[in-house]
Amino acid sequence: MSGDHNFDKSKFGYVFNIQHYSVHDGPGIRTLVFLKGCPLKCQWCSNPESQKNNPELAYNFNKCIGLDQCNRCLKACPNGAIKKSAGNEITIDRQECDSCFKCADACPSHALNVFGNLMSVKEVVDKVEKDSVFYSRSGGGMTLSGGEALVQAEFTTGLLKEAKRRRINTTIETCGYANWESIEKAGQYLDNILYDIKCLDPSKHKEFTGVTNELIIENLKKLRERFPKTAITVRTPVVPGFNDTEEDILAIIKFIKDIQNVKYELLPYHRLGEPKYTYLDREYPFSGFTSVDDERMTLLKKIVQDKFQQ
Amino acid sequence: MAECCSVLSPHEQRIQEEIQGKQNFEGRERVYNILNSFNTERPKIDIERAKYFTESFKQTEGQPLVLRWAKAMKHIAENITVYIDEHQLLVGRSGYSGRYGILYPELDGDFLDVGIEELPKRVESPFNITQEDADVVINEIAPYWKGKTFHESLTESLPEETFKLTYDPENPLMSRFIVNETASFRSSIQWVHDYEKVLKRGFKGIKEEAQEKLEALDPLSPVDNAEKRPFLEAVVTVCDAIITWAKRHAKMAAELAEKETDAQRKKELHEIAEICAWVPENPARNFREAVQSQWFTQMFSRIEQKTGTIISNGRMDQYLYPYYVKDVEEGIITEKEATELLECMWVAMAQFIDLYISPTGGAFNEGYAHWEAVTIGGQTPDGCDATNELTYLFLKSKQEFPLNYPDLAARMHSRAPERYWYEVAETVKEGSGFPKLINDEEIIPLLLAKGAGFEEANDYAVSGCAESRMPNRDTYTSGCAYINYAAAVEMTLYNGKTQKTGDEVIGLETGDPREFETWEEFWGAYLAQQTNYLKHAFIQQHTIINLRAKHFATPMGSALHDLCMENCIDLHQPKIEGGIDLGYFECIGYATVVDSLAAIKKLVFEDKKLTMAEMLEALQNNFEGKEDIRQMLANAPKYGNNDPYTDTIAKAVDRESVKFTSKYSKELGVHLDLRLVPFTSNVPFGKVVSATPNGRKAWAPLSDGASASQGADVNGPTAILQSNFNSKNYDYRERAARLLNIKFSPSCVAGEEGTDKLVSYIKTWCDLKLWHLQFNIINKETLLAAKEDPDKYRNLIVRVAGYSAFFVDLSSDLQDDLISRTQHETM
Repeated sequence: MSGDHNFDKSKFGYVFNIQHYSVHDGPGIRTLVFLKGCPLKCQWCSNPESQKNNPELAYNFNKCIGLDQCNRCLKACPNGAIKKSAGNEITIDRQECDSCFKCADACPSHALNVFGNLMSVKEVVDKVEKDSVFYSRSGGGMTLSGGEALVQAEFTTGLLKEAKRRRINTTIETCGYANWESIEKAGQYLDNILYDIKCLDPSKHKEFTGVTNELIIENLKKLRERFPKTAITVRTPVVPGFNDTEEDILAIIKFIKDIQNVKYELLPYHRLGEPKYTYLDREYPFSGFTSVDDERMTLLKKIVQDKFQQ
Repeated sequence: MAECCSVLSPHEQRIQEEIQGKQNFEGRERVYNILNSFNTERPKIDIERAKYFTESFKQTEGQPLVLRWAKAMKHIAENITVYIDEHQLLVGRSGYSGRYGILYPELDGDFLDVGIEELPKRVESPFNITQEDADVVINEIAPYWKGKTFHESLTESLPEETFKLTYDPENPLMSRFIVNETASFRSSIQWVHDYEKVLKRGFKGIKEEAQEKLEALDPLSPVDNAEKRPFLEAVVTVCDAIITWAKRHAKMAAELAEKETDAQRKKELHEIAEICAWVPENPARNFREAVQSQWFTQMFSRIEQKTGTIISNGRMDQYLYPYYVKDVEEGIITEKEATELLECMWVAMAQFIDLYISPTGGAFNEGYAHWEAVTIGGQTPDGCDATNELTYLFLKSKQEFPLNYPDLAARMHSRAPERYWYEVAETVKEGSGFPKLINDEEIIPLLLAKGAGFEEANDYAVSGCAESRMPNRDTYTSGCAYINYAAAVEMTLYNGKTQKTGDEVIGLETGDPREFETWEEFWGAYLAQQTNYLKHAFIQQHTIINLRAKHFATPMGSALHDLCMENCIDLHQPKIEGGIDLGYFECIGYATVVDSLAAIKKLVFEDKKLTMAEMLEALQNNFEGKEDIRQMLANAPKYGNNDPYTDTIAKAVDRESVKFTSKYSKELGVHLDLRLVPFTSNVPFGKVVSATPNGRKAWAPLSDGASASQGADVNGPTAILQSNFNSKNYDYRERAARLLNIKFSPSCVAGEEGTDKLVSYIKTWCDLKLWHLQFNIINKETLLAAKEDPDKYRNLIVRVAGYSAFFVDLSSDLQDDLISRTQHETM
């Protein structure tokens, strides 16, 4: 199923998680839909399972009960890609794996798990709408997240359109790195936009995220102009060693001051995503860095408070 | 994205400050002085109530029971030691200084002698007793009650098949924890008095009413002479008794005042003397008298009988409000003084411990459980919002002085003012588990459907852990059956047997499940076991209802009840004209059952990933060497995730139960409604159930109340509310309480934004018409640290099951159960 790209991209897409009761990503109590794929490769990324477009096999050895108890995955794999490791655990030979995911189906403890399910617009919005009773009290709704939802632009627009038809409040969390047409299309169905501006220095931006920031900056300006009534919150994930200086934050404040009617928030970087790199047999590019300390965060938040009129 | 910095709840913060030796008592010196005088001591048993009760009963044999009871109360009131505690503004206790429990030999005196020796050793809620007192119990009290107690009568009266599911045949002291009766460790289920009646009329007024009725009796009528007269005489006697008791306090206070050298305390003692000479005999004239009068009434009620879960306090913010407003307006009392007086009551409550002699009772009520529900908020009898300044004062007191007394219950309704939602949420955020929330939108329509009028339904008081009472309309008061639904799953798997009881067939022989070919067949067999339990639970209750009136009377409780006074009949009588009998039976292990059934349906019958034989073998071996099978079972669909697969099964389990009671309650003449409230019984009930098909290991706790299995609700806190909604049968009126525990990490509700979202969450719960909700807002690390180092965390309060307790007072099993409940995080 993973290799199957012959589906209607406006009706189907790859989702790797649907999370209920999210309270920090848009107004009210929200349901977060995480879509696969991302044009950036941020070194600190906390959702490495989002980066690739297609479903991926993950192995959480903490959940594995060990080969002395169970070898169902070994037996299930038609390619011999699952091998006994030095200890009691397994390793996945990712070269040999053709992503049939039969092993995950056989795994009793969900130690082997697939990130990314092909879902229809209807399936996703049905799940989101289940929490409708919470949205009516809290003003919440659906938030699309990722990865970058706009990588699956047609699917994203489909989801947003369907949500609006069902009177569900919509939000997107975006890195802004997408072609303008797809942003514009999605924008028609959005109530709120959470827009990441990570750093204004293009070369530093490229070094840490893999892309430069011109398109991102341009798109934000265009968005504001094209959708003057949509609530936009600019957000900066504060990452030590990348953008945690006063200068970095002041530069961003200076830039967004010229954009009408946006809010601004700082988010502290966290390392919660780190174990997931191991599950995917990848290196955590940012290892060695620590979380932002509270003191620094307070200082930067104070700068925002003083220098930026919300 | 997560705000991952750890956040402490205010309660956790306070504990940390205490550990560092920084305690702040400012403005609350009096209540902290009282609290610190007893807080760390193990409770003691006081035998005086039992001693004088027994003495009197020896003298009155052959007389009508209600009159004997009233005379016993009089004898107690005249002889029991009177105490006036240092620093206290309120007086009235029925035992030793510090934490104490009292004995009710009429219930289970037959094993009082054995029980007494066991109590100090018990793991759950231990008590101390002096040798001198123990001797009195063993030599003077227990022998009189042999052959006379309710417990013995019940064991003798139960039909054999019912007995087998109720008690261990070798030892009727021990419950089987399958179809468990609770009537022999409490003479009634939870109850609320009409305290307002006392405040407005005084016991003198009630006594006069009884005297007038006595004079109006038909002197030739057999019923009037044989039934009504003794009842009315009992009312007169019990009114005299409580007045006598109060006046003994007045006398003592006056004497102490004479000797007192501290001017301030001297003044206080004079006031106490004056107040106790006036109330509860006469109507209260001000706030302080009202509070003292209420306190005497509830304490005397505790002496009168063992009300299940301790007598509740009713709608305190309503009946005290007129006195409060008047006093504040007239400058007699300040808000601060009123708060202090109420907090004097909370610390007084904290010293009376609900003592259970029977090991079953002890296991049901770990951590010295108590549910003396103080109700706030809700609606007025004519359906308007009822919140007032006193409502907020109770919440504020709970935030600033977060003792685990009283058990505070906030009635919620959809038109409550914003301030109320927010102050309730702020109090919840404090982190000690208060208040519990009770939903008018579910309860009022149900009370109406069960026969109440609007006025009384709107005016209900929260009672006990999650129930409601209309103090002048409700009548039924027998201890109810607790049914181990998880054992029904086990008996389906082992053809009527359990692993614990071996070869003895105690359930139905529904066939070898390895020969079942369809899910429907398995479901049919399960249902037969479940229905068999219900059958015996109802037989058990039938026996209890008919026995109760021969063993118990409550002259004071009856004196405060309109219908009892009208009909001149004791509240323990099974049928009272005009009353509505609201009882219940309890399903224990709801999610354990649902998850087990779902796993079998999915893995064995639908996906065929497992055979019944493979599964049974793994279960019989408690998954020893079969961890892969345990994992498969544990990862099957689980209740609490808003998943129709499990919620449909949950609804069917519920539905078959309410259908049964819908039919047979009518025969009994008592509403026995389905309830999902475990106290702490999910722990002992789990100890008789071997490994279950939800991946639960043998003897581990069952799921609690209507909550998901421990750690199984992985879809966030909205899903558990919806699973509850989805699994209820709103077309039946046979619903009683469903208790729901939600655990949040403090960071999840941090800040203004956190409060907003918590309010939205609670409002949605209200919209969903769920019965009850309570929160633990605490970091898992705190619980782990407290388990490791109990001395440091002596004051850590956690929500258990409709009540809050000191974490360190809980058994290790229950501590682990609390730790393993899913904690919802901010994402």
